This record gives sequence, structure tokens and C-alpha cells, in this order.
Amino acid sequence: MMQELRKERLDRGIKVRADSIYAISSLKEIMFLMGPGLILVFGLLVLPAVVSPYWQRVLCIAGVYVLLSISFGFLANYVGLVCLGGALFVGVGGYLSGILNAYFGLSPLLAIPLATVAGAFICTLLLLPCLPLRGVYFAIISFVYPLLAGRLIAATGVFGGTDGIAELDVLTNKWVNIYLIFILILVVVFGISRLVNYEDLGLVFRGVKDNEQAITASGLNITFYKAQAVFIGAALGCFGGAYLSHLYGWAGMSLFAIDFSILPVAATVVGGSGILYGPLLGAFLLIPISEALRAFGTLRIVFYAIVLVFFVVFWTEGVLEYVRRKYEQFEHWVRV
Amino acid sequence: MSSPDNGFLLEIKNLIVFYENAIAINNVSLNFREGQITGVFGANSAGKSSLMHTVSGIILDMKEKEKRKGGERITWYGEIKYRGEDILNLKPSERAKKGIVLCPERRQLFSESSALENLKIGGYLADKTQGKKTLDYVFSLFPELQKLKYREAGFLSGGEQQMLAIGRALMAQPKLLLLDEPLLGLAPSVESRLAQAIKQIRNETKITIALSEQYARPLFPVIDYGYVLENGGIVLEGSSRELMDNPDVIGAYFGM
Repeated sequence: MMQELRKERLDRGIKVRADSIYAISSLKEIMFLMGPGLILVFGLLVLPAVVSPYWQRVLCIAGVYVLLSISFGFLANYVGLVCLGGALFVGVGGYLSGILNAYFGLSPLLAIPLATVAGAFICTLLLLPCLPLRGVYFAIISFVYPLLAGRLIAATGVFGGTDGIAELDVLTNKWVNIYLIFILILVVVFGISRLVNYEDLGLVFRGVKDNEQAITASGLNITFYKAQAVFIGAALGCFGGAYLSHLYGWAGMSLFAIDFSILPVAATVVGGSGILYGPLLGAFLLIPISEALRAFGTLRIVFYAIVLVFFVVFWTEGVLEYVRRKYEQFEHWVRV
Repeated sequence: MSSPDNGFLLEIKNLIVFYENAIAINNVSLNFREGQITGVFGANSAGKSSLMHTVSGIILDMKEKEKRKGGERITWYGEIKYRGEDILNLKPSERAKKGIVLCPERRQLFSESSALENLKIGGYLADKTQGKKTLDYVFSLFPELQKLKYREAGFLSGGEQQMLAIGRALMAQPKLLLLDEPLLGLAPSVESRLAQAIKQIRNETKITIALSEQYARPLFPVIDYGYVLENGGIVLEGSSRELMDNPDVIGAYFGM
């Protein structure tokens, strides 16, 4: 009767030790804790140096999608806002930086940070009316704005209309180009991870996700906190847009393309939604795969769709959650 | 369609349920006798809800959901026999078709549908005449629902919502009705009103009822047989009378 076996899942000894004061007992424990972070840091710093110039360019563009994915993951998993506004952020940031550069003559190194902050402010203001609402409204509104902006520019012909703002200054040094975004990714991912895990503000964000009523009852204004979160998320996207416009030397309507809104969702599905590094990993997997499949033309969309369906149906937890479990835990059979 | 000779509609033998490495139900054996009300009592985290989920099959859904999001692994072992047939790994919908119907904890009504619509949704498994008959029966059992039948379920009071939840479960034509904490958060007068209704259901319809509850006083007089769970195991069992005379039970579950 009682001969059945059960697979037991236990934390590895090193994980248990590394969770407590014994974390600093030996190099092994320290490396266990820091290993994943170090792999990420060195991976991101070394990768651009060892690939061909063509792939360096791909990595630059992938970096923008990574930022958008982090922004999506942060808002969805830690604040409870499903934001499909990637295209809005990129478009606003890209056009702002283009305008500052082409019409006011600011250098890209000044135009990009300015466009990041001002763009994030504009995006937050645009999204402010639907922040008190919960549910699908925010997602819809954030998705609709870029469509609206694109049509508006095409119809009125402002900012160069369908031709866009051409001949922007570009950052000529390719190392500056690539390490600018890669180092920013590192700063952002560790910064946000610290914010949501250790700072009071992050605690409030997570509380807003879990139970808005309880947060209100604690005397906090949820709309104010949501606006702060949206500002952070939007700043990441606006930087991506500003960066892109100076990478291409051109700010046009394609900055409002829906891809910027949709791909972060896909990256989060593939990478895993539990932790912030999931969307990052997902974006770094998806963009190069998409690039490598360029030879297949439109068929790559089919492949893409198959990958996504596979993850949604069979591997919902995502890559990173799985890897994390294997890293921290082991399994063995025990008698019931 | 009759139970085995021993008169047990449902037999649970050596049931063990794990949520990952935490044991929720530890080697429990209990029986629900046909046509009787069986009570399962225990404090929070004693394993009452886990038991109800395992019997109704909801645990299969929980397992799948946890698996999908990479959460804790839910496993169970043992034997659950319904009319002599093993149902341990049967889907909850199949169990409902066989007559095992759960009235879930915290009611889980369709709060934006009217009371009548809630009952009709519950009656999906019933044919037309059965449905009509049961609907009339629910309204005779809980006359207050008759007046409120076009009101949205979310706007009913707690007691009315619980009546509606029981009514909805009855609409599914149960042979074994599982009531998970039917008195949760209700006023004392409503508690005794519902306890009487549960007894009435047993007397008039011959439906076998299994209920779980923390606070036993209003329900002890109506049950036929009871189990007391503690930390996932059965510490005491007996007829209603035997349990009511037990000093430990009086201390722990009557609040005296």
C-alpha cells in the first residue's frame, strides 16, 4: 500500500547557506549568490566584443527591445499594469530627440537624456487619465496612442510627415553605441531589481499589484504611485526610442510601429514572468533568432508564432524560472 | 446505481496530499455513509479544504495551474472510491456528472449574474423537468431567494449568497453534496437557519452531504457522523452524540 514514491524537491545546501549569514563563509557560497549576476554582467560586456559588426548592430537594436521588455515586465509583474505602450514610448522618445537634434541643434549626448526625461513625462501625462482604472483599459489606451500618433503625423505632415526627420547626428563610434545601451541595461536591471525588492517604493508598487484597496486604506494615493511606475517604464522606452533615432540617423513613423508594443509581451512569455531577468533573457533570445531567420523571409513569422505557442501551451513558466529552480533546488525520490 | 453493501457512498483510504513538501492531508481514511450528513471539523490549516478539493477533484485543476506557472507541485496518494469505483484521478467535471458536487468555500457565485441565472448555470447538468423541479425545491427551501431572484448575486447579503450557493449546487443534481465551510462569516441566526436547511435537504432528498466547518456548534446537532481533523490527520471520530459528549471537542470546537 505505502510503496509509492514521490519526487521531493529540496533547496540545495548551498542555497540554504547562501540565504543566511553563512553566505560569506566561503568563496563557493559567495559565488553561488553572485554567479548569475556575474554571468550577466560579463556576458553583456564581452558579447559585443566578440561578434561581427553586423551582429553588433543587431545587438544594439536587440538592446532597445530588451529595455522595452524590462519596462513591460516591471509594470506587469511588479505594479500590475499591463502596458502595451512600447511603441508610444519609443515614438515619443525618438521624435523628441530627433526634434531637439535637428531643430534645436543639440548634440545626441544631450538630446537623448533630455528626450528620455521629457518623453517619460509626456507619456505619463498621456496615460494619467486611465491610471485609476483597473483591468483592460490601461492596456487598450496605451496600445491606441501610437496608432493615433502615427496617423496624426502622416495626415498633418508635422515633423517631416511620412518622410520623418532625416539626417540626424549619429554616434559614430560603434563601441560607444553598443556599450551605451548594454551598460544602461545592466544599470536598469539591477536598479529596478533593487527597487522592487528592497526599497519602500518597490514595496508599495507590489502592494498596488496585489490589492489596491488595501493600499488606499493605508493612506497612499495609488494613482500617484502608478504614475511614478509608469514614468520609470516610459523612461526606459523613451531612451530606447531616442537611442534608435540616433542609431539610424532618422526619426520616422516606424518608431510608432506595433512591434515595439508586442515583442516585449512575447519576450516575457519566453523568458518567464516571475522575475525581472526573464523578459531580458526572452528579448535577447527572440531578436537574434528572428534575425538569424531573416533568410526565410516571411516564413520566420510562422516559426516565431510556433515558438510562442509552444511556450504558452507547454512551458508557461518560461526559461528562466525553470533554470532558477534547477540552480537552487534538487530533486530526489522518497518513499511516501 | 447503488452503493456497496457497507452503505458507504464514498470511501477514502489512506489519503495523503502534498503541497510540494508540506503535507496537507496525512494518511486519512474516512467514509461518507449514503443518505447521511458527515461533518469534518478542524481549525484553520487542518486540511478540511484540501480534503474537499481532493474529493471534488478541484485539486487536479490546482495541480495543473501550479505546474503551468512553475509553482509548487501538488501530489496525492491513496484511494477514493465512489460507489466502489476508484475516482482518485477523475476530472472534476466527470465527478460532477457522477453526482459529486462541491459548494465551494466563500461561495464563488457569479456575482454579475442574477440569482436565477446563477441557479440556471448550476443546473447545466440537469434535464428540463429535473431543472424545474429542483428550482422549485430550492425556492421552497429558501423562500427569500424567490423574492430576490432577479437581483445580481453580488448585491445579496452574505446569508442569501450562501443559500444561493447551496441552491446552485443542488441544481447540479448531486448524489453527494460537498459543503466547504457553509457558515463562513455568517450571523448566528443565519447559521442555525442554514443548519436546519442542510438537515431538511438530507431528510427530503436523500442526498448524501459532507460538510466541513471550523466552528461546530450550529452544525453538531444536524450531522449524523463526524470527524475531527488536526494538522492533516484524524484525531477523533464518532456519531454526533459521541462527539458532543467529548470534553476535548467541547473545549476546542464549541468555544465553551
